[in-house]
Amino acid sequence: MAKIDLDTVTKRFGSGGDAVVAVDDVSLEIEDGEFVVFVGPSGSGKSTLLRIVAGLERQTEGDVVIGDTIVNELGPRARDIAMVFQNYALYPNMTVEENMAFGLKMSTDLSDDEIETRVRETAEKMGIGRLLDNTPGEMSGGQQQRVALGRAIVRNPDVFLMDEPLSNLDAKLRTEMRTEINRLQNELDVTTLYVTHDQTEAMTMGDRLVVLNYGELQQVGTPLECFYRPKNRFVAGFLGSPSMNFFEGQTEGGTLRLDGFDFDLTREMQSAAGSRNELVLGIRPEDAKIHDTPRSSHELEAEVDVVEPMGSISYVYLRATEQEGDRTFIVETDGQRAITEGQSVYVEIPDDDVHLFDDEDGETIHQRKLGEDAEVELEGQT
Amino acid sequence: MAAVDDAQQPDSRLSKTNRERLVSAGRHAALLVWSFVVLFPLYWIVSMSLKPPTAAISLPPDWIFLPTVYNYIQLLQQSSFVYAFFNSVFMVSASVILVLLIGVPAAYVLSRYDIPKQRDVLVWILSSRMLPPVAVIIPFFVIFRALNLYDTRIGMIFMYITINISLVVWVMKAFFDGIPETLEEAARVDGATRFQAFRKVILPAAKPGIFSVAIISFIFAWIELLFSLVLTNNNAVTVTMQVYQFIGVRQIEWGMLAAATTATIIPVVIFVIAVNRYLAAGLSFGVVIKE
Repeated sequence: MAKIDLDTVTKRFGSGGDAVVAVDDVSLEIEDGEFVVFVGPSGSGKSTLLRIVAGLERQTEGDVVIGDTIVNELGPRARDIAMVFQNYALYPNMTVEENMAFGLKMSTDLSDDEIETRVRETAEKMGIGRLLDNTPGEMSGGQQQRVALGRAIVRNPDVFLMDEPLSNLDAKLRTEMRTEINRLQNELDVTTLYVTHDQTEAMTMGDRLVVLNYGELQQVGTPLECFYRPKNRFVAGFLGSPSMNFFEGQTEGGTLRLDGFDFDLTREMQSAAGSRNELVLGIRPEDAKIHDTPRSSHELEAEVDVVEPMGSISYVYLRATEQEGDRTFIVETDGQRAITEGQSVYVEIPDDDVHLFDDEDGETIHQRKLGEDAEVELEGQT
Repeated sequence: MAAVDDAQQPDSRLSKTNRERLVSAGRHAALLVWSFVVLFPLYWIVSMSLKPPTAAISLPPDWIFLPTVYNYIQLLQQSSFVYAFFNSVFMVSASVILVLLIGVPAAYVLSRYDIPKQRDVLVWILSSRMLPPVAVIIPFFVIFRALNLYDTRIGMIFMYITINISLVVWVMKAFFDGIPETLEEAARVDGATRFQAFRKVILPAAKPGIFSVAIISFIFAWIELLFSLVLTNNNAVTVTMQVYQFIGVRQIEWGMLAAATTATIIPVVIFVIAVNRYLAAGLSFGVVIKE
């Protein structure tokens, strides 16, 4: 086990004017035994960052420290890490047993008997004991995935690195393996870095999230912290499904003039906004409410565009009646509620649930309110 | 209406089955004809080699005859043929081993490393095969004489490597390109050096490609005639030259020619059978390709 420090790590591909900055000045401390998820859209630099920790890419600037050693000059084999790849990368010419034994043969002085015992124990734990004589070509995707995990675990490394290991599985298997990886990580207590673009995986798996975009660190925090206390518009929009609704507008006195409706800013919001004129209002689909008749001052009239029934809930796509543009926003509603396309409704935007962002740099200037318990828990986490 | 449909259905089903049978029969007939076209010359040569000299080219041909190994005994008694045969086996095998030793790592490096002007290097390698052999034969002759390679086995081995190197590099580069890089990355993370990753993981995965180019290189070198005619005389003669010598100015020794040709085919057949199991198609690289 080991802690990992990334100190002002930058990675540029190419040189001169054509250089692409894949990772931009990232500093991060990962505690011993922690499960950290790197999350971001494609091209955000999350995989590159993981490969830098693995030693498969060399950073252009900055230091990588694993345990107490600066590993900048060390290749992957000297870093005592194990990695699970998106495509599993099982050795096609070897059986499952040989695949799992390969790392032990390469990196330890264990005898053949000891290696065999360890491989068998791990295989039993992973439920692949009866597959030991199979070659990768003879197995299903799910089985290959388990072997890839087993191959990493059997090494008993200081650090696990996982690069989107579940993205090639079907939805059901993905959920199962998510739980399984969580369980294994808790059990083994090995420092784990996990890369994903899937925000559900990110929310459910990590002790902490590292949200990246265009190679820059957006926010580091617990999943709940990133979800409820996003540092900027990008994090707010990236976490949560469907995404948070954003409305751009200008302040006029205590009112935020948006396309299609006006929103009265509370005193707290006004003082947070200060002299800023261009603001973005953010509200999550599950926080806005649909009413058939007007009920509060914080609401707008809208027409139902599309209804997506999901079973217990429905996602309703709406368009503000008086807006000039063509944008729609989403509100989550009870699945049993009768609602039809073209229907006219009132959408309440509770001021307690509203986030405000600076339109220019995207920084959060006002966070939503939370229940007392959640506030206390988040306080404890930060 | 329903009754009519019911009545018609069996008929149409029958006719469909008949049509399928007809198509299948046609396909088989075409395959048979093609097999005949391909195999008949082989049959002709082998059967000619087993006929007594007088019957070799009799017309109409003797379809039924008592096979004799007379031609083969004659052939084995010609020490020059036996010498040339084993000469070829040695030179061609050595050249195949060497061309793989040079070409496979070169292809790997061209596939995996960032090499300046990589495309140009590849075209430069291919350029060795861009001119027809007859256009380069005289310069080769001059060079071989100057370097004392004329009529030497080493000279012919060099020649065969020159002939095959572009094939090995190009085919193997494409093959390595198709093997996911994560395989050697996984090996390196598992504790292997770059070279170990290549030797223990990538090379075994590339076996089908390596054996394919080995077979083709073997055949190209084995059937080569032009260069051996010009660049050898006595010491480094090849089996193809010996076969060619049965075509005289005044007469062709058909029986001997057929026996020599048959004998020449045998090493290739043995080689192909020996490596056939490595050519298994549809090898999985143990990875899933993201859709």
